[in-house]
Amino acid sequence: MLGAYAARFDFDRLGVIPRPSPRQADVMIVAGTVVKKMAEPIITIYHQMPEPKFVISMGSCANCGGPYYDSYSVVKGVDKIIPVDVYVAGCPPRPEALQYAVIKLQEKIGRLAPTRQAMASPIQEKGARVWYRMRLSPNLRKDLAVCN
Amino acid sequence: MVPDAAIAKLKERFSGLQLMEPAPVKGHLSVKLSGPSKLIGVIKMLKDELGYEFLDFITAVDWKGPVDLKGYIVNPNPNPFMPEGVRSQMISEPPTPGFPYREAIEVIYALSNWAAKSRIFVRVETTRGDPRVPSLIFLWKGADWQEREIFDLLGVVFEGHPNLKKILTPDFIKGHPLRKDYVHIKDKYD
Repeated sequence: MLGAYAARFDFDRLGVIPRPSPRQADVMIVAGTVVKKMAEPIITIYHQMPEPKFVISMGSCANCGGPYYDSYSVVKGVDKIIPVDVYVAGCPPRPEALQYAVIKLQEKIGRLAPTRQAMASPIQEKGARVWYRMRLSPNLRKDLAVCN
Repeated sequence: MVPDAAIAKLKERFSGLQLMEPAPVKGHLSVKLSGPSKLIGVIKMLKDELGYEFLDFITAVDWKGPVDLKGYIVNPNPNPFMPEGVRSQMISEPPTPGFPYREAIEVIYALSNWAAKSRIFVRVETTRGDPRVPSLIFLWKGADWQEREIFDLLGVVFEGHPNLKKILTPDFIKGHPLRKDYVHIKDKYD
Protein backbone atom coordinates (compact mmCIF):
# COMPACT_ATOMS: atom_id res chain seq x y z
CA MET A 1 0.00 0.00 0.00
CA LEU A 2 2.87 2.36 0.79
CA GLY A 3 4.44 1.43 -2.54
CA ALA A 4 1.19 2.22 -4.34
CA TYR A 5 1.13 5.68 -2.77
CA ALA A 6 4.81 6.40 -3.44
CA ALA A 7 6.35 8.08 -6.46
CA ARG A 8 6.79 5.05 -8.73
CA PHE A 9 3.11 4.04 -8.74
CA ASP A 10 1.54 7.29 -7.55
CA PHE A 11 -1.95 6.54 -6.29
CA ASP A 12 -2.83 10.24 -6.34
CA ARG A 13 -3.23 10.21 -10.11
CA LEU A 14 -6.24 7.89 -9.65
CA GLY A 15 -7.69 10.33 -7.17
CA VAL A 16 -6.93 8.19 -4.15
CA ILE A 17 -6.06 10.51 -1.30
CA PRO A 18 -5.51 9.18 2.22
CA ARG A 19 -7.73 10.84 4.78
CA PRO A 20 -6.98 11.11 8.49
CA SER A 21 -10.49 10.20 9.58
CA PRO A 22 -13.08 7.60 8.54
CA ARG A 23 -15.65 10.41 8.60
CA GLN A 24 -14.01 11.91 5.51
CA ALA A 25 -13.48 8.62 3.67
CA ASP A 26 -15.31 6.91 0.82
CA VAL A 27 -13.23 3.73 0.70
CA MET A 28 -11.74 1.68 3.49
CA ILE A 29 -8.77 -0.54 2.60
CA VAL A 30 -8.43 -3.41 5.05
CA ALA A 31 -4.77 -4.25 4.59
CA GLY A 32 -3.85 -6.92 7.08
CA THR A 33 -4.83 -9.68 9.43
CA VAL A 34 -8.10 -9.00 11.21
CA VAL A 35 -7.79 -10.36 14.73
CA LYS A 36 -10.87 -10.88 16.85
CA LYS A 37 -9.86 -8.14 19.24
CA MET A 38 -9.74 -5.61 16.37
CA ALA A 39 -13.04 -6.76 14.85
CA GLU A 40 -15.18 -4.36 16.85
CA PRO A 41 -13.02 -1.26 16.15
CA ILE A 42 -13.21 -2.14 12.43
CA ILE A 43 -17.01 -2.31 12.59
CA THR A 44 -17.03 1.03 14.41
CA ILE A 45 -14.81 2.61 11.75
CA TYR A 46 -17.06 1.22 9.04
CA HIS A 47 -20.11 2.77 10.70
CA GLN A 48 -18.31 6.09 11.02
CA MET A 49 -17.79 6.36 7.26
CA PRO A 50 -20.42 8.44 5.44
CA GLU A 51 -22.65 6.80 2.84
CA PRO A 52 -21.98 5.71 0.13
CA LYS A 53 -19.09 3.65 1.45
CA PHE A 54 -16.95 0.93 -0.05
CA VAL A 55 -14.46 -1.58 1.31
CA ILE A 56 -11.40 -3.07 -0.38
CA SER A 57 -10.05 -6.21 1.25
CA MET A 58 -6.34 -6.31 0.48
CA GLY A 59 -4.24 -9.45 0.79
CA SER A 60 -4.87 -13.03 1.78
CA CYS A 61 -5.06 -12.25 5.50
CA ALA A 62 -7.95 -9.84 5.09
CA ASN A 63 -9.63 -12.01 2.44
CA CYS A 64 -9.81 -15.28 4.34
CA GLY A 65 -7.37 -15.29 7.27
CA GLY A 66 -4.43 -16.38 5.12
CA PRO A 67 -1.80 -18.44 6.94
CA TYR A 68 -3.59 -17.77 10.25
CA TYR A 69 -6.68 -19.62 9.03
CA ASP A 70 -6.51 -22.23 11.82
CA SER A 71 -5.69 -19.72 14.52
CA TYR A 72 -7.73 -19.11 17.64
CA SER A 73 -7.55 -15.33 17.39
CA VAL A 74 -8.01 -14.45 13.71
CA VAL A 75 -11.25 -13.58 11.94
CA LYS A 76 -11.40 -15.75 8.82
CA GLY A 77 -11.94 -12.94 6.38
CA VAL A 78 -13.01 -9.36 6.95
CA ASP A 79 -16.22 -10.12 4.99
CA LYS A 80 -17.43 -11.98 8.08
CA ILE A 81 -17.87 -8.66 9.87
CA ILE A 82 -18.36 -5.98 7.17
CA PRO A 83 -19.44 -6.09 3.50
CA VAL A 84 -16.55 -6.08 1.02
CA ASP A 85 -16.70 -4.69 -2.53
CA VAL A 86 -13.34 -5.69 -4.03
CA TYR A 87 -10.95 -8.43 -2.96
CA VAL A 88 -7.26 -8.19 -3.88
CA ALA A 89 -5.42 -11.51 -3.90
CA GLY A 90 -1.77 -11.77 -2.98
CA CYS A 91 0.49 -12.05 0.00
CA PRO A 92 1.23 -9.18 -0.17
CA PRO A 93 -0.43 -7.85 -3.35
CA ARG A 94 1.69 -5.85 -5.75
CA PRO A 95 1.00 -2.09 -5.86
CA GLU A 96 -0.44 -2.55 -9.36
CA ALA A 97 -2.95 -5.03 -7.94
CA LEU A 98 -4.21 -2.50 -5.42
CA GLN A 99 -4.46 0.14 -8.13
CA TYR A 100 -6.36 -2.33 -10.32
CA ALA A 101 -8.73 -2.91 -7.39
CA VAL A 102 -9.43 0.81 -7.22
CA ILE A 103 -10.08 0.89 -10.97
CA LYS A 104 -12.44 -2.07 -10.58
CA LEU A 105 -14.19 -0.28 -7.74
CA GLN A 106 -14.58 2.79 -9.94
CA GLU A 107 -16.15 0.59 -12.64
CA LYS A 108 -18.45 -0.93 -10.04
CA ILE A 109 -19.51 2.49 -8.80
CA GLY A 110 -20.11 3.51 -12.42
CA ARG A 111 -22.51 0.59 -12.85
CA LEU A 112 -24.41 1.35 -9.67
CA ALA A 113 -27.87 2.79 -10.35
CA PRO A 114 -29.02 4.76 -7.36
CA THR A 115 -32.72 4.67 -6.76
CA ARG A 116 -34.39 8.00 -7.34
CA GLN A 117 -33.88 10.41 -4.45
CA ALA A 118 -32.20 7.72 -2.38
CA MET A 119 -30.22 9.35 0.41
CA ALA A 120 -30.18 12.67 -1.48
CA SER A 121 -31.37 16.13 -0.65
CA PRO A 122 -33.22 17.94 -3.48
CA ILE A 123 -30.18 20.02 -4.27
CA GLN A 124 -28.11 16.85 -4.60
CA GLU A 125 -30.81 15.14 -6.64
CA LYS A 126 -31.27 17.86 -9.22
CA GLY A 127 -27.89 19.50 -9.10
CA ALA A 128 -27.16 23.02 -7.96
CA ARG A 129 -27.81 24.65 -11.37
CA VAL A 130 -31.26 23.13 -11.74
CA TRP A 131 -32.05 24.20 -8.21
CA TYR A 132 -30.97 27.72 -9.02
CA ARG A 133 -33.14 27.80 -12.15
CA MET A 134 -36.02 26.33 -10.15
CA ARG A 135 -35.86 29.27 -7.83
CA LEU A 136 -36.05 31.58 -10.83
CA SER A 137 -38.84 29.94 -12.84
CA PRO A 138 -42.06 28.83 -11.20
CA ASN A 139 -42.97 26.75 -14.30
CA LEU A 140 -39.83 24.63 -14.07
CA ARG A 141 -40.46 24.08 -10.41
CA LYS A 142 -43.95 22.85 -11.23
CA ASP A 143 -42.59 20.50 -13.92
CA LEU A 144 -40.04 19.03 -11.59
CA ALA A 145 -42.65 18.55 -8.91
CA VAL A 146 -44.71 16.56 -11.42
CA CYS A 147 -41.67 14.46 -12.26
CA ASN A 148 -41.19 13.58 -8.65
CA MET B 1 29.85 -16.74 30.73
CA VAL B 2 28.81 -16.73 34.35
CA PRO B 3 31.83 -16.29 36.63
CA ASP B 4 32.75 -19.35 38.68
CA ALA B 5 32.72 -17.32 41.88
CA ALA B 6 29.04 -16.45 41.30
CA ILE B 7 28.15 -20.09 40.70
CA ALA B 8 29.98 -21.12 43.87
CA LYS B 9 28.14 -18.46 45.88
CA LEU B 10 24.76 -19.57 44.52
CA LYS B 11 25.50 -23.21 45.28
CA GLU B 12 26.66 -22.35 48.76
CA ARG B 13 23.51 -20.39 49.61
CA PHE B 14 20.88 -22.60 47.97
CA SER B 15 21.02 -26.36 48.08
CA GLY B 16 19.17 -28.29 45.41
CA LEU B 17 20.09 -25.97 42.55
CA GLN B 18 20.69 -27.86 39.35
CA LEU B 19 23.08 -26.40 36.80
CA MET B 20 22.04 -27.60 33.38
CA GLU B 21 24.94 -28.99 31.35
CA PRO B 22 25.23 -28.65 28.44
CA ALA B 23 23.62 -25.22 28.53
CA PRO B 24 20.32 -25.37 26.61
CA VAL B 25 20.31 -21.74 25.43
CA LYS B 26 23.26 -20.51 23.37
CA GLY B 27 25.94 -21.39 25.92
CA HIS B 28 24.41 -19.32 28.72
CA LEU B 29 24.22 -20.98 32.10
CA SER B 30 20.78 -22.26 33.12
CA VAL B 31 19.95 -22.74 36.76
CA LYS B 32 17.05 -25.05 37.49
CA LEU B 33 15.22 -24.64 40.76
CA SER B 34 13.53 -27.50 42.55
CA GLY B 35 10.36 -25.47 43.15
CA PRO B 36 8.85 -21.98 43.09
CA SER B 37 9.46 -21.43 46.82
CA LYS B 38 13.16 -20.66 46.28
CA LEU B 39 12.61 -18.37 43.30
CA ILE B 40 12.47 -15.03 45.07
CA GLY B 41 15.58 -15.82 47.14
CA VAL B 42 17.65 -16.85 44.13
CA ILE B 43 16.52 -13.92 41.98
CA LYS B 44 17.09 -11.41 44.79
CA MET B 45 20.58 -12.77 45.35
CA LEU B 46 21.34 -12.60 41.63
CA LYS B 47 20.07 -9.03 41.47
CA ASP B 48 21.47 -7.55 44.65
CA GLU B 49 24.70 -9.44 45.22
CA LEU B 50 25.85 -10.83 41.92
CA GLY B 51 24.99 -7.88 39.68
CA TYR B 52 22.33 -9.47 37.45
CA GLU B 53 20.31 -6.28 37.50
CA PHE B 54 18.55 -6.45 34.15
CA LEU B 55 15.54 -8.63 33.48
CA ASP B 56 15.75 -9.56 29.79
CA PHE B 57 12.49 -11.43 29.58
CA ILE B 58 10.19 -13.91 31.23
CA THR B 59 8.78 -16.77 29.25
CA ALA B 60 7.15 -20.11 29.87
CA VAL B 61 7.05 -23.55 28.29
CA ASP B 62 4.30 -26.13 28.45
CA TRP B 63 6.02 -29.51 28.56
CA LYS B 64 2.96 -31.64 27.91
CA GLY B 65 3.10 -33.84 24.82
CA PRO B 66 2.57 -32.63 21.23
CA VAL B 67 -0.27 -30.25 20.44
CA ASP B 68 -3.69 -31.84 20.46
CA LEU B 69 -5.33 -30.58 17.29
CA LYS B 70 -8.75 -31.84 18.28
CA GLY B 71 -9.52 -28.54 19.90
CA TYR B 72 -8.76 -26.38 16.88
CA ILE B 73 -11.28 -25.42 14.26
CA VAL B 74 -9.59 -27.10 11.32
CA ASN B 75 -12.06 -26.22 8.61
CA PRO B 76 -14.47 -23.43 9.53
CA ASN B 77 -15.34 -22.53 5.94
CA PRO B 78 -15.81 -25.71 3.88
CA ASN B 79 -14.13 -25.35 0.50
CA PRO B 80 -16.39 -26.66 -2.28
CA PHE B 81 -13.43 -26.97 -4.70
CA MET B 82 -11.48 -29.37 -2.48
CA PRO B 83 -11.83 -33.09 -3.22
CA GLU B 84 -13.95 -35.14 -0.84
CA GLY B 85 -12.24 -36.09 2.42
CA VAL B 86 -9.22 -33.81 1.98
CA ARG B 87 -8.19 -31.89 5.10
CA SER B 88 -6.38 -28.58 5.24
CA GLN B 89 -2.70 -28.42 6.09
CA MET B 90 -2.87 -29.21 9.81
CA ILE B 91 -1.65 -32.72 10.60
CA SER B 92 -1.24 -33.96 14.16
CA GLU B 93 2.38 -34.73 15.03
CA PRO B 94 3.13 -38.09 16.59
CA PRO B 95 4.93 -37.84 19.94
CA THR B 96 8.73 -37.83 19.59
CA PRO B 97 10.19 -40.90 21.37
CA GLY B 98 12.68 -40.01 24.08
CA PHE B 99 11.47 -36.43 24.48
CA PRO B 100 10.94 -35.45 28.13
CA TYR B 101 7.20 -34.80 28.04
CA ARG B 102 5.81 -34.13 31.50
CA GLU B 103 2.85 -32.53 33.23
CA ALA B 104 4.66 -29.29 33.97
CA ILE B 105 4.84 -25.67 32.95
CA GLU B 106 8.31 -24.23 33.17
CA VAL B 107 8.74 -20.49 33.74
CA ILE B 108 12.07 -19.13 32.51
CA TYR B 109 13.68 -15.88 33.62
CA ALA B 110 16.62 -14.39 31.72
CA LEU B 111 18.78 -12.02 33.73
CA SER B 112 21.75 -10.01 32.48
CA ASN B 113 24.79 -8.53 34.12
CA TRP B 114 25.92 -5.87 31.71
CA ALA B 115 29.10 -5.04 33.65
CA ALA B 116 30.32 -8.63 33.55
CA LYS B 117 28.76 -9.21 30.10
CA SER B 118 27.07 -12.36 31.27
CA ARG B 119 23.57 -13.73 31.20
CA ILE B 120 21.90 -16.38 33.29
CA PHE B 121 18.66 -18.28 32.88
CA VAL B 122 16.64 -19.28 35.91
CA ARG B 123 14.12 -22.05 35.31
CA VAL B 124 11.38 -23.08 37.66
CA GLU B 125 8.75 -25.74 37.09
CA THR B 126 5.17 -25.73 38.34
CA THR B 127 2.36 -28.20 37.94
CA ARG B 128 -0.02 -27.86 35.02
CA GLY B 129 -3.06 -28.26 37.20
CA ASP B 130 -2.45 -25.29 39.46
CA PRO B 131 0.55 -23.35 38.15
CA ARG B 132 1.67 -20.71 40.64
CA VAL B 133 4.90 -18.77 40.86
CA PRO B 134 5.66 -15.60 42.82
CA SER B 135 5.53 -12.34 40.89
CA LEU B 136 8.72 -10.33 40.35
CA ILE B 137 6.92 -7.04 39.87
CA PHE B 138 8.35 -5.62 43.09
CA LEU B 139 11.88 -6.18 41.73
CA TRP B 140 11.32 -5.09 38.12
CA LYS B 141 8.38 -3.00 36.93
CA GLY B 142 8.97 -4.44 33.47
CA ALA B 143 7.80 -7.83 34.66
CA ASP B 144 4.22 -6.53 34.74
CA TRP B 145 3.07 -7.05 31.15
CA GLN B 146 5.22 -10.13 30.58
CA GLU B 147 3.63 -11.85 33.56
CA ARG B 148 0.19 -10.83 32.36
CA GLU B 149 0.98 -12.26 28.93
CA ILE B 150 2.11 -15.59 30.40
CA PHE B 151 -1.01 -15.61 32.56
CA ASP B 152 -3.14 -14.97 29.50
CA LEU B 153 -1.58 -17.49 27.14
CA LEU B 154 -0.49 -20.26 29.53
CA GLY B 155 -2.54 -19.70 32.67
CA VAL B 156 0.34 -19.33 35.12
CA VAL B 157 -0.83 -17.40 38.18
CA PHE B 158 1.76 -14.91 39.41
CA GLU B 159 1.13 -14.50 43.11
CA GLY B 160 1.42 -10.92 44.31
CA HIS B 161 0.78 -9.34 40.92
CA PRO B 162 -1.50 -6.34 41.50
CA ASN B 163 -3.33 -6.46 38.16
CA LEU B 164 -3.31 -10.00 36.83
CA LYS B 165 -5.76 -9.72 33.91
CA LYS B 166 -5.80 -10.96 30.32
CA ILE B 167 -3.63 -8.71 28.18
CA LEU B 168 -3.72 -10.11 24.62
CA THR B 169 -6.72 -12.28 23.93
CA PRO B 170 -10.22 -10.79 23.92
CA ASP B 171 -12.48 -11.50 26.87
CA PHE B 172 -14.71 -13.97 25.03
CA ILE B 173 -11.83 -16.40 24.34
CA LYS B 174 -11.91 -18.97 27.10
CA GLY B 175 -8.86 -20.94 28.16
CA HIS B 176 -5.17 -20.40 27.53
CA PRO B 177 -4.33 -20.77 23.83
CA LEU B 178 -0.64 -21.71 24.12
CA ARG B 179 -1.35 -24.72 26.30
CA LYS B 180 -0.82 -27.97 24.45
CA ASP B 181 -4.29 -29.28 25.34
CA TYR B 182 -6.13 -26.04 24.49
CA VAL B 183 -9.62 -26.60 23.13
CA HIS B 184 -11.01 -23.74 21.08
CA ILE B 185 -14.65 -22.98 21.75
CA LYS B 186 -16.38 -21.40 18.76
CA ASP B 187 -17.05 -17.72 19.36
CA LYS B 188 -19.06 -15.09 17.51
CA TYR B 189 -16.36 -14.54 14.85
CA ASP B 190 -15.76 -18.20 13.89
